[in-house]
Amino acid sequence: MGRYIVRRLLQAIPMLFLLSLVLFVLVNIAPGGPLAGHGRSRRPDPEKAEILKRQFGLDQPLPIQYVVWLIGNDWMKVDADGDGIKESNGTRRGILRGDFGFSFKTRQPVLDEILGRLGNTVYLMTATLLIVAIIAIPVGIISAIKQYSFFDIGVTTLSFMGQAIPEFWLGMILILVFYVWLKNPATGEPLLPPGGMKSLDTGFNLWDRIQHLILPVTMGAVGWVAWYSRFLRSGMLDVIHQDYIRTARAKGLSERVVMLRHALKNAFIPLVTILALDIPYIFAGSLYVELIFSWPGMGRLYYQAATGRDYPVLMAILIFASMFTVFANLLADVAYGYLDPRIRFE
Amino acid sequence: MPREKVIKALALGTLFVLLASSLIGCGATPEPTQPPEPTDVAAEPTKAPEPTQAPEPTEAPEPTEAPEPTEAPPPTEPPPPEPEESSIVIAIPEDPAGFNPYVSDTGYEQLLMELTMLGLTDLDAEGNLFLELAAELPTIENGGVITNPVTWEMTVTWQLRDDVYWADGEQVTADDVIFTWDAISDPEGGIWAEGIDYTEGLEKVSDLSFTVHYSYTYPNYALHFGGENFVVWPEHYCDASQGFVAWDCNREPLSNGPYLLEDWQTGDYISFVRNPTYFEEGKPYIDNILVRIVPERAVIKTMLVEGDADAYMWLTPTEIDDLKEEDHIGITFSPTTRWVMRLIPNLAARGSIDPDADPHPILSDVRVRRAIRMAIDVDLLTQEIFRGYNEPVWTELFRPPYVCDIPRPEYSPDGAGDLLTEAGWTDEDGDGIRECHGCETAEEGYVMSMENMIYAEYGEELELAQQLVAEMLGEIGIDLQLSIVEGPVLWADYESGGIEQNGDFDLNMWDDGYPGLDPTDHLWAYYYSAAAEPDYGWNVGRWYNADFDALLDEAYVLDEEYRQELFCQMADILEEELPQILLWSEVDADAYATRLEGVQATVNDIMTWNVADWKVNE
Repeated sequence: MGRYIVRRLLQAIPMLFLLSLVLFVLVNIAPGGPLAGHGRSRRPDPEKAEILKRQFGLDQPLPIQYVVWLIGNDWMKVDADGDGIKESNGTRRGILRGDFGFSFKTRQPVLDEILGRLGNTVYLMTATLLIVAIIAIPVGIISAIKQYSFFDIGVTTLSFMGQAIPEFWLGMILILVFYVWLKNPATGEPLLPPGGMKSLDTGFNLWDRIQHLILPVTMGAVGWVAWYSRFLRSGMLDVIHQDYIRTARAKGLSERVVMLRHALKNAFIPLVTILALDIPYIFAGSLYVELIFSWPGMGRLYYQAATGRDYPVLMAILIFASMFTVFANLLADVAYGYLDPRIRFE
Repeated sequence: MPREKVIKALALGTLFVLLASSLIGCGATPEPTQPPEPTDVAAEPTKAPEPTQAPEPTEAPEPTEAPEPTEAPPPTEPPPPEPEESSIVIAIPEDPAGFNPYVSDTGYEQLLMELTMLGLTDLDAEGNLFLELAAELPTIENGGVITNPVTWEMTVTWQLRDDVYWADGEQVTADDVIFTWDAISDPEGGIWAEGIDYTEGLEKVSDLSFTVHYSYTYPNYALHFGGENFVVWPEHYCDASQGFVAWDCNREPLSNGPYLLEDWQTGDYISFVRNPTYFEEGKPYIDNILVRIVPERAVIKTMLVEGDADAYMWLTPTEIDDLKEEDHIGITFSPTTRWVMRLIPNLAARGSIDPDADPHPILSDVRVRRAIRMAIDVDLLTQEIFRGYNEPVWTELFRPPYVCDIPRPEYSPDGAGDLLTEAGWTDEDGDGIRECHGCETAEEGYVMSMENMIYAEYGEELELAQQLVAEMLGEIGIDLQLSIVEGPVLWADYESGGIEQNGDFDLNMWDDGYPGLDPTDHLWAYYYSAAAEPDYGWNVGRWYNADFDALLDEAYVLDEEYRQELFCQMADILEEELPQILLWSEVDADAYATRLEGVQATVNDIMTWNVADWKVNE
């Protein structure tokens, strides 16, 4: 299997390279540009736009821009001061040497921008996925085992509601209920905070952190729980009517062992595919959750970069997301082998 | 390795990643950035404001009777409890790029800048100039300004206050101003700034004085080193080699203003503490300010209502109406307005930038432009959509200091229809849309149908206004096809396919205005002939008028009365030719908790322009 993993990783290199090329072209040829005014400046001053164009490297042809983005320009002469003479080497080292450039908006290194937010997003999304797993897996299993029971019908109804509720609306309702309406009877303060990662006037406080997690995790988890539980229920129903389950029961195994060891393992196979596709969310975050609950994460950074045409940040996020997707797919393939011994890594 | 072991290793690895990521999140609280400690130098009475309450030992009352040696000393009273520190929260929806508005101009950079940094001068809400670092305003009368009537060159000599210090104790000097200007105008790491085209250089006169050499008379000199964008940066602290737009100072500034940066959690909050060495004695009054980033405006509003936020700027008319009902929330309105919503007709045919060779088939006739203006009921728009907070505006020269008496145009759909008929646009096929029948600008039968574009970022209110305008024009037989595009697409540069720079539009609607007191740059960018060149200006309607150009050229003088006269002549030409159709000015309002005192909205700067004067009344 080690060789298989290495082979897959090697295969990913040209794929990521090709992907980077396509993404770079798409991002750069999309309508609009980073020089247009934002906020108070509806119109950029033309002289300012000219300087920005040079500082951003947008005065170069697109192929050159891609090469600089990829391998940097510290090996070539550039015209840094706009006098038409290429007098000194550039300062960019390119993403292959770990330099993702600087944000057009903040002028900060792109990696700093991403690393400043990545931990927050991974923290939120990991908590969300854990809650999803803790709720969705047992609910899906029980729904399948007790098909058409009150529990199953109730869960099915709630699942459809969970999938149908607009995420944005749900977030606002959660704030209305738990921040505006419900108060802590002891203090009179809102029951839960409306956003942020922690209270600012306290040091590290685990309960405070949990309080700040409850609403965003709830908002993010509702749709996923509904989706995963339905998926697992369906997978379990497919499996528990198979002959090998009947055989296991005939051998006298307990129902618990039959379900958990024989049925669940096989029911997980299709779920693994879905889970693998969702893993990149741990990196990319959830835009609506981060917007509503003021969570300083990757989703907001991506949104700002996309609307502000902050190409370097946009490209870095897209490349990292692509890498995560490749990695997640590999992880899924490895997991298939564990779950289904018939699958061999050739 | 057996497969089970590999799987176990993978599972353990995954678990480790999950746990580690949780820990990252939980522990992602870097140590707060310590504000620079003021040095003893700054604390010296000669250089920093002296505490007014300091008891003088010589003034201590003498005991009238000598204490009996046998008596026990009187019990000393316990010291009064330390007053609780005052704190406020300003909620903003967007993460500022830093403290430097030249890097990014969302307005939130200015908000931070005003908390920490000073320029030489600034404007109050009424548009009156006041001094910050400058000791006095140079004028011709006091000899600070010298103009050359032959060459039009100008020199301005500034004198700085001698009692302003950086937070590390260094004095703010002319070297800092010169350093800042050199950094801005550095061709490699600098940026374009107002006045840069006229400035030949800055020359140090003394530690607290410098002279600016202008190649041409620059009427806005008083705000050249101040206003809403310019502040002075410390030479001894900022690294010029990093470049003005990229230096670390932009994120970790050294204060000379009322507050010190304490901590910045990107995307979450920025906290400030009172600057003990701030030059205005006793100010600022509030000890701590927290700028909280809350992307969703509805959540900010809720926080304000619940008392978790104290200030929130740039209210929409709907928000004003919602918040003014709350007892503990006040609304402050800027006494003057700045942003004017306008229709921008393209006088060149769509896709062309040459109105002489390819005139727009409909809009190149001024009678059509006049008819469009007559058919729009601006009062209805401002009342119904903007709840009466926006006010009709019909000329660029509508606010102090240059106000021109241009009569308000009448609203008359019938008159508009007559004008269109006179211009050769009539509806002969009875479909409700006029066609060219004898018009001078289009082929016979050309249908009077155009696209109207707005930008998406403004929001629902502009979309409603667009629809209403389309209905109003539809009533006089003009068909408007409505579209909404992103600002970066509408205003992108020529090479990036910017719609306006490429002339790929008929009739756009968006808002703009000029900061400060001087409209010359604004008028130049929108109406000067040279500004019609792609990527050279924003005369995207491609309107050419030599008389206007000559008047604007002449307006670069210091004689205020003469300038007023020139601007009003320009206003007459604009009124006559209508290169843009101005509709209404937008309200500028901020909300604040009523426990806060001193908050005053302004279009000349940002909400925090007078933050040192704010007080908390618990």
